[in-house]
Amino acid sequence: MKIILTRQCMLLASPVALMVCRLQAADLNLLGTNMPPLDFHGFVSQGFLATTKYNYLGNDTKDGSFQFTEAGLNVSMNPLPRTRIEAQGFLYDVGESGKYQPFLDYASIEYTFNDYLGLRGGRIRRPQGIYNDIQDVDLARTYVLLPQGIYDARSRDFSVSLDGGEVFGNLPLSNAGALSYEAYAGYINVGTDSGVADRINNSLPVGKVTSFDPMLIAGSQLWWNTPVDGLRFGTAFGYGFNFDYNLNLPTGYPPPDPSSVSLHASSHITLQQYSAEYLWENWTFQAEYYNIQNNQHTTSPAGTTPSFVVNYAWYAAAAYRFNKWLEVGGYYTEYYADQPMTFGSDTSQKDAALSFRFDPKPWWVIKLEGHYIRGTALLDDNADNPVRNDNGWFMLMLKTTVSF
Amino acid sequence: MRLFWLKIGLMVSYLVAGTLSALALDGAMLIVNPGVVTDSLSAKELKDIYTAKTKYWDDGQAIIIVVIPDKTDAALEQASGMDGNQFKTFWERLAFSGRGSEPERAGDTAALVAFVASTKGAIALVPADAALAGVKQIKIK
Repeated sequence: MKIILTRQCMLLASPVALMVCRLQAADLNLLGTNMPPLDFHGFVSQGFLATTKYNYLGNDTKDGSFQFTEAGLNVSMNPLPRTRIEAQGFLYDVGESGKYQPFLDYASIEYTFNDYLGLRGGRIRRPQGIYNDIQDVDLARTYVLLPQGIYDARSRDFSVSLDGGEVFGNLPLSNAGALSYEAYAGYINVGTDSGVADRINNSLPVGKVTSFDPMLIAGSQLWWNTPVDGLRFGTAFGYGFNFDYNLNLPTGYPPPDPSSVSLHASSHITLQQYSAEYLWENWTFQAEYYNIQNNQHTTSPAGTTPSFVVNYAWYAAAAYRFNKWLEVGGYYTEYYADQPMTFGSDTSQKDAALSFRFDPKPWWVIKLEGHYIRGTALLDDNADNPVRNDNGWFMLMLKTTVSF
Repeated sequence: MRLFWLKIGLMVSYLVAGTLSALALDGAMLIVNPGVVTDSLSAKELKDIYTAKTKYWDDGQAIIIVVIPDKTDAALEQASGMDGNQFKTFWERLAFSGRGSEPERAGDTAALVAFVASTKGAIALVPADAALAGVKQIKIK
């Protein structure tokens, strides 16, 4: 606990140092050269969450947990006409995921031929729906916690970035508005210390993941920006060609039988997401539907076992901004784990959230949020929640973000 | 049923017509750095700039948007189709996903004009009574 608090103190102090850097970097001409100026931005978020009945997004949230931290620092520059370089370092800690380990979130170079066509390559953020590429940027939304059936905070290292490239652009449609597009392909690299590894490990009675192969993924995000100001509709598609990983499971058998057995899981993943967003006067309305299909074959010494799992989620949200410093919003979301539109306490999760966002300063955000949740499908199925027999439970969240 | 669809059609026509009406910037004027190669912009071109659809001037120079909070909010909403908070959130989403740079913020009108005058590719809405020096005023076609 002492170590964590010390790290959090360092995180909260870092924006002050970063703001000083910004003053020096605003018009930075390095070493007296005519190098284009560097543009720095950054943020630090610290949250607190407490739950009743179950531990969620962490292993001690029933007692209240501060293990809800995100921090990012990015820099960009335009070294040549129509050319931009950008990079961001990031760290986070959400329950057992992240663990404050800094990593390169994105680092890419882009060239924009014109409004219709551009190319971006390197480590890029993967577009999917309204929030996927900004799901850890607290200041860019009303809510503390996004609908977790779609934007699971524990899986961000699997879902947010990829190493590859994309084409992007904006196509005018005359009086019908405009179509913006992004099409990407590349590899997602995760390790055995990633959030997705924790999710898999938690789903196993015994054993754990020992390695992942890089996953090749391709997909697209289309937005139709209608002629009505603030109204847009989107559709996203993605296909993961090979989500492959190895498992080691102890057998519990005495010698001469093997003490453990190795398994190999290989999946093809298909995801789809449909989005609608309308900014109307002081209102923001949003709705999204998502499904992900996992066609998996697990190979063990006993043979190969196929499985096919489909997860569904949707939400509808509305937020109203009263003035510059207060916004109130809420959403309702449902998630189904391979049981389409049927309710079971451990195969679905329904969440009604009410959020208050305060902006006391342009660089400072405070949020207070309450959730009433039915179902437990998104809980980790491990020792943190050995009994899951009560549908209704509550969660309270408090979060603050400073940025520059 | 036909009456229902007629009402829907009229509502959509009204909304679309509203977006195509001529742009007037309430209490503000548009300025750019003198090195910017254009002398006028259409309402659509201006909106494309303020909504990140256009990120470069014709000569390839990066467009740098500069804002002055509270003093040109009405004009900013007319230019971008978003109020001040929506505009801020929109650009934060781009900046923290590696897809754009947040607009620069100026503390007062004089600082804003000075920043635009000294920054290549800069564009800003300034109060209509601002004293201009070293910048170029842009007409809205």
